[in-house]
Amino acid sequence: MSRVLVVEDEQHLAEGLRFNLEAECYQVEVVENGEDALQRLLSGPTTFDALILDVMLPGKDGFLVMSELRQSGQFIPTLMLTARSRPDDVLRGFEAGADDYLTKPFELAILIARIRGLLRRRQWLEASVKNSESTASPRNIFVFGDNGDKSIDFGLLELLVRDKVFRLTLMEATLLRYLTDHEGEVVSRKTMLEKVWRLQEDTDTRPIDNFIVRLRRYIEDDPARPRHLLSVRGVGYQFLALPTSSKTARH
Amino acid sequence: MVVAGRHRSVWVFIGLAAGLISVILLLYVGWVLLNWRTGILLFFGVILLAMIISGVILNTIFLVREIRRNEQHDAFINAVTHELKTPVASIRLYLETLMSRSIEDRKRQEFYHAMLEDSERLLSTIEQVLRTGRLGPSTHLTNLTAINLHELLEGCVTRARKLYNLTPECVQYRPGLQVAIQGDSDEVQAALSNLLDNAIKYSDKTVRVTVETAKVESKYIAVRVKDEGIGIPKRELKRIFKRFYRIPGLSSKRTKGTGLGLYIVRSVAKRHSGQVWAESAGPGHGSTFVLQFPISK
Repeated sequence: MSRVLVVEDEQHLAEGLRFNLEAECYQVEVVENGEDALQRLLSGPTTFDALILDVMLPGKDGFLVMSELRQSGQFIPTLMLTARSRPDDVLRGFEAGADDYLTKPFELAILIARIRGLLRRRQWLEASVKNSESTASPRNIFVFGDNGDKSIDFGLLELLVRDKVFRLTLMEATLLRYLTDHEGEVVSRKTMLEKVWRLQEDTDTRPIDNFIVRLRRYIEDDPARPRHLLSVRGVGYQFLALPTSSKTARH
Repeated sequence: MVVAGRHRSVWVFIGLAAGLISVILLLYVGWVLLNWRTGILLFFGVILLAMIISGVILNTIFLVREIRRNEQHDAFINAVTHELKTPVASIRLYLETLMSRSIEDRKRQEFYHAMLEDSERLLSTIEQVLRTGRLGPSTHLTNLTAINLHELLEGCVTRARKLYNLTPECVQYRPGLQVAIQGDSDEVQAALSNLLDNAIKYSDKTVRVTVETAKVESKYIAVRVKDEGIGIPKRELKRIFKRFYRIPGLSSKRTKGTGLGLYIVRSVAKRHSGQVWAESAGPGHGSTFVLQFPISK
């Protein structure tokens, strides 16, 4: 039985969520604020399989809780829940490290589907951890770099750069997957918003740039002079698996 | 009203800029004409410098004020979004649950109660916002009647006890003299309820609120709402009555609200030729709000 932690200070919503998740056969625990959530997830004895996190919390807000969790190496699949529906807020949630985002009021069926999606991902991940060495499907591993010294394992959500291993959030991995699937193509920011974040509206695209900056820090030898993740001025980004020379960056 | 205020400030600053430019032109022309008389030059130079400096200062004040106003407006929009969407989300969640699952009767009743409470909360937020729109200084009181303050207070106290599930010991009412005031009973009730709500909302774990009435100089009747809650820092005592204003820091994050409640109280007090102020010995020492109305003859 999967365990879900719900962080929600609105008592009625929390109880409604608890009732429905329990009806779906999840074990549910509810905490009312960010501090308690951090304590339960970082030093509590129980482990959780998924987290539902409200943004407007007393004390530490959801964004802060999210980034503190990720910084402490807690990569629990997280669905953020909030009344703020502006695209900027959505992107801010992803920037903090959320895997999925739902705005209030939400549809019950969609909420349940999203949580199932997160948990499926988690289970699939655990399954692939068990038999990673021998049967890791090559489809899920993308090798790149000059001597093939860098690779992304989309199953384990890990990025290997020589002997260094970086854990990726679902969002970072999805963005990398999209870029590697369209290797060599110039991808506009708008397309990225639509395909990766599934946002239709015209919005501030700076959070995408923040994501790219973060990814560059992982995969580039010199993040200031990127060779894999190139900026295409006025358009978007381009991913190159095998850069021909360091001067390929188009400006 | 806000728009009008902004227009006025915009024109003031356009006027200021035009004035400064004409002074500069005047001085340049003057310099050409009068450059042999250094004394006058010095005099105009000093004036010019003083004007430029005061222009810069005024401009900065205006900018800072505008930025603050924008910030408060954003915070207000966020708070109202939250206050409107949360109860809707909860009602919707319960309705969908009731529609899609078979639920035992006791739980079903629980859900109905939760939905009812959420709709109350939604309504009170909507009323608060609409009331703020109606309370402009340009609008006049129309429903003037004689109000029995004692009855009104009793009603408010009972409502608050019920709404927050509190015992009579938690919210005590000590009636003073029976007096009548002239005013709009709907507005006075809203103001009193807001004061009570705040006293309860900003109490720590134990709620201990007392409501008293007393005559002041035989001309006024003062309603004192006293709590033993989180208190108010000295420098915030006046600002909390501003529209959208919420004390920055923990308290505004801990307790939800729109920043309209006390603004409504102050507007109602003004419209009834009364007064409202806050007293507090500082954070952690509770606070007292005094709402004073003239007694009708």
